[in-house]
Amino acid sequence: MIPIPKAIKYIFILFAWAFIGVTLFSCGSSQPQKSNILYTRIESEPSTLNPVLTTDKYSSAIQSLIYNGLFTVDSELKIIPELAKSYSISSDNRTYTVHLNESVTWHDNQPFTAEDVKFTIDTYLSPSTNTVYRSNFIIDNQPIETRIIGTHQIQFILPKPFAPFLARLTTSIIPKHIFESKDINKNPNNREPIGTGPFIFNQWASGQFIRLKSNTQYFEGTPKVDQIIARVIPNDLTAIISLENKEIDESEIKPKDVKSLENDTHLATYSYEQMAYIYMGFNLKKPPFDSLYVRQAIAHAINKSLIVEKVLLNQGQVAHVPNHPISWAYPNKDTFSMFEYQPEKSRSLLEQEGYIYNATSGYMEKNNIPLTFTLILTKGNTVRENTAKIIQQYLQKVGIKMNIQLMEFQSLVTILKEPVAVKRFEVALLGWSLGLDPDSYSIWHSSQFPKGFNFIGYHNPNVDTLIIKGRQETNPVERKEIYTEMYAEITKDIPYIFLFYENTLHTVNKRVLGLSQPSPAGIFLNIEEISVQ
Amino acid sequence: MKSRLSFRLLIFIPALILITLISFILMKLAPGDAISSYMDPNVSIEDLAILRNQLGLDQPILIQYFKWLIQTLKGNLGFSIQHQQPVLDLILSRLPATLLLSITSLVCILTLAIPLGIISGYLKNRKVDHSITIFAFLGMSIPSFWLGLMLILIMSSILQLLPSSGIINPLLIDAALFTRITDISIHLILPVLTITIGGLAGLTRYIRFDTISVLNQDFITALKARGLSNKRILFKHTLKNTLLPLITLLGLELPGLFTGSYIIEYIFSWPGMGQLGLNAVFSRDYPLIMGILLFTGGLIIIGNLIADFTYSLIDPRIQTKKIS
Repeated sequence: MIPIPKAIKYIFILFAWAFIGVTLFSCGSSQPQKSNILYTRIESEPSTLNPVLTTDKYSSAIQSLIYNGLFTVDSELKIIPELAKSYSISSDNRTYTVHLNESVTWHDNQPFTAEDVKFTIDTYLSPSTNTVYRSNFIIDNQPIETRIIGTHQIQFILPKPFAPFLARLTTSIIPKHIFESKDINKNPNNREPIGTGPFIFNQWASGQFIRLKSNTQYFEGTPKVDQIIARVIPNDLTAIISLENKEIDESEIKPKDVKSLENDTHLATYSYEQMAYIYMGFNLKKPPFDSLYVRQAIAHAINKSLIVEKVLLNQGQVAHVPNHPISWAYPNKDTFSMFEYQPEKSRSLLEQEGYIYNATSGYMEKNNIPLTFTLILTKGNTVRENTAKIIQQYLQKVGIKMNIQLMEFQSLVTILKEPVAVKRFEVALLGWSLGLDPDSYSIWHSSQFPKGFNFIGYHNPNVDTLIIKGRQETNPVERKEIYTEMYAEITKDIPYIFLFYENTLHTVNKRVLGLSQPSPAGIFLNIEEISVQ
Repeated sequence: MKSRLSFRLLIFIPALILITLISFILMKLAPGDAISSYMDPNVSIEDLAILRNQLGLDQPILIQYFKWLIQTLKGNLGFSIQHQQPVLDLILSRLPATLLLSITSLVCILTLAIPLGIISGYLKNRKVDHSITIFAFLGMSIPSFWLGLMLILIMSSILQLLPSSGIINPLLIDAALFTRITDISIHLILPVLTITIGGLAGLTRYIRFDTISVLNQDFITALKARGLSNKRILFKHTLKNTLLPLITLLGLELPGLFTGSYIIEYIFSWPGMGQLGLNAVFSRDYPLIMGILLFTGGLIIIGNLIADFTYSLIDPRIQTKKIS
């Protein structure tokens, strides 16, 4: 017999009992009480609850419940007044006069006035503020001017007409009386915000959750739920189990998880467009990508619809231009080049460029050197990794050898941003999110190379002119024509292969009622109308 | 021994400074910085340049390091770029959760591994030993990522016994002390179980091996000859000798207790240091990385120190000799 001393026996018994006891005890309390609380999920902890300093979408998600902008968007992405009551634009398109809603108060019951609006814009413009969105209020190196006309009346004077400006007034307004006396970058209220929005900040448990309480004084009506608890759950699989267990009421999910959640009768999944596109960008300064034929050949070799079907499981659509079909500025179908899947055409284009098919190696060759390049993309994004693998197979079929190099995000960005005449990459698989306005100066204007987001080195004088024209024209009908012409130029040059738009998949517990029509603005657009059973 | 202790304490600070200098340079060699990751077409290059200047990221590495060092010596660890709060506050807010999880797991591992290891060593090559060995290797080879998810799936999703993640039910965070302790214990079960199963194997094997080698020594035969009971030989004389190497091992484990495990914290949404540290590295949050490195660097040195001295305290055979 093994000699076991009593002490060890007791420890074992104690452990066993503790385990059983705690497990039994937990039966009742593991589920959140079904009171009037909406449980949401955020993937990562927000960095700050001060909208001026925000850089991540998790912070923005919480801030949008606490703060308001002068304007906001509806489910069709139209800009509509929020803190503004009405507005007018002068005939020279340079002066915007905004009348503010007089009945709005801050969460600490101070009145909301034009002073707060001016303070917010001035804070953005101040060089000592650690914000990345200062340029929203700077037009051609000149800051906009803010003038208070009355307690609830304010004017913005622009150095020159600038069509995207109204969209920039969706910026959240922060309270002057809270932030004026202290350093904005390190203000304690960045973590205990005071806003005007439907929910009042209550508690932030680091790494765990943020709790908000409904604002009974909210100018658009008291929200129907008493509290929102936004839980930080980084892992997608844990979030799915939490959805199934009713520990959270909503979470975004991945296409592959749709099927497994179908059997849960208490859950419903919504799919809506995301204002972003995924593309393959060519380094136009590096041969052979300086050749239009090579770029066209690659474009014709890829079957984009199959990528949407296999990788996105049809939760998305094929892209052709750098804008989303849902945008008002999206061009008519016959105005731009589509580059359908035509592998034979792809080969003949390469032959025109001097490449000869080598039957033994299976590659298209020029001077006995096969056509080879490396695609770089970020590690960890499965949709993009799988897309790259499919593209690799398609290119193999036409005799192009594509290597895939997965990189850590920061390393990739460093290569793209390196301020040199010829950057150290050949082709990059990336995505751009689209703003409310179709202006895309920072991506396509030739001045944005080598420093800036035009890292592919795109240069087309026509496009440069059209971009500037599009910024100055305020009539939407004429703007649309300008952008139609610009997209035609860009698709003709094919500096990017526009691959697809991913949909957002959002699973919600059916006890949550009053969701808005699924749109790129989400399904929680009318947050004050949302209730839980 | 006193002089040895004071010597070790004396080199503590220079060693720590050297650790931070090397880590700082290595950290800066990694591509990108805290600002470069803003791949947002609405963010202008000018704004990023202003921000980089504000944060002092445009200065030479050594100047940045000495600025950091001077502030640190003054007791100011700086301001996290990613979390926008003081580094010290941030570390202190995450430390309790990590310590709770790692100390509970360590206690569980020790209470299971010591008896299992001794039994396994005493009954070498018998059925009990084989089953413990198989169990140990099984635990060691199951990836904790998979095990954690399986435990959540079984205990939380299918059996509905335990919460899937988190440290406490948000509604109970302001509840009475006893309710809170109970709720936290419930949330602890799955992560502790995952860590214990994964960590048990190594230690059990270690103790088994030590037990076998101690049992083969002459003094055990002598004790047997004196007619001591098996129980006394095993749990008094063998155990004491087996525990010696264990102390060194635990001294080396000390920093690990504080840094937490990223995988476990990630799966169980545990608000600890592991997630904080890894995310800081990915976002190049230099002040936070340095804060955590300073902390763990210090703990590694202290851990070694404690291991060394307890070792010589417990084992009279090991007396530190003065180098003459």
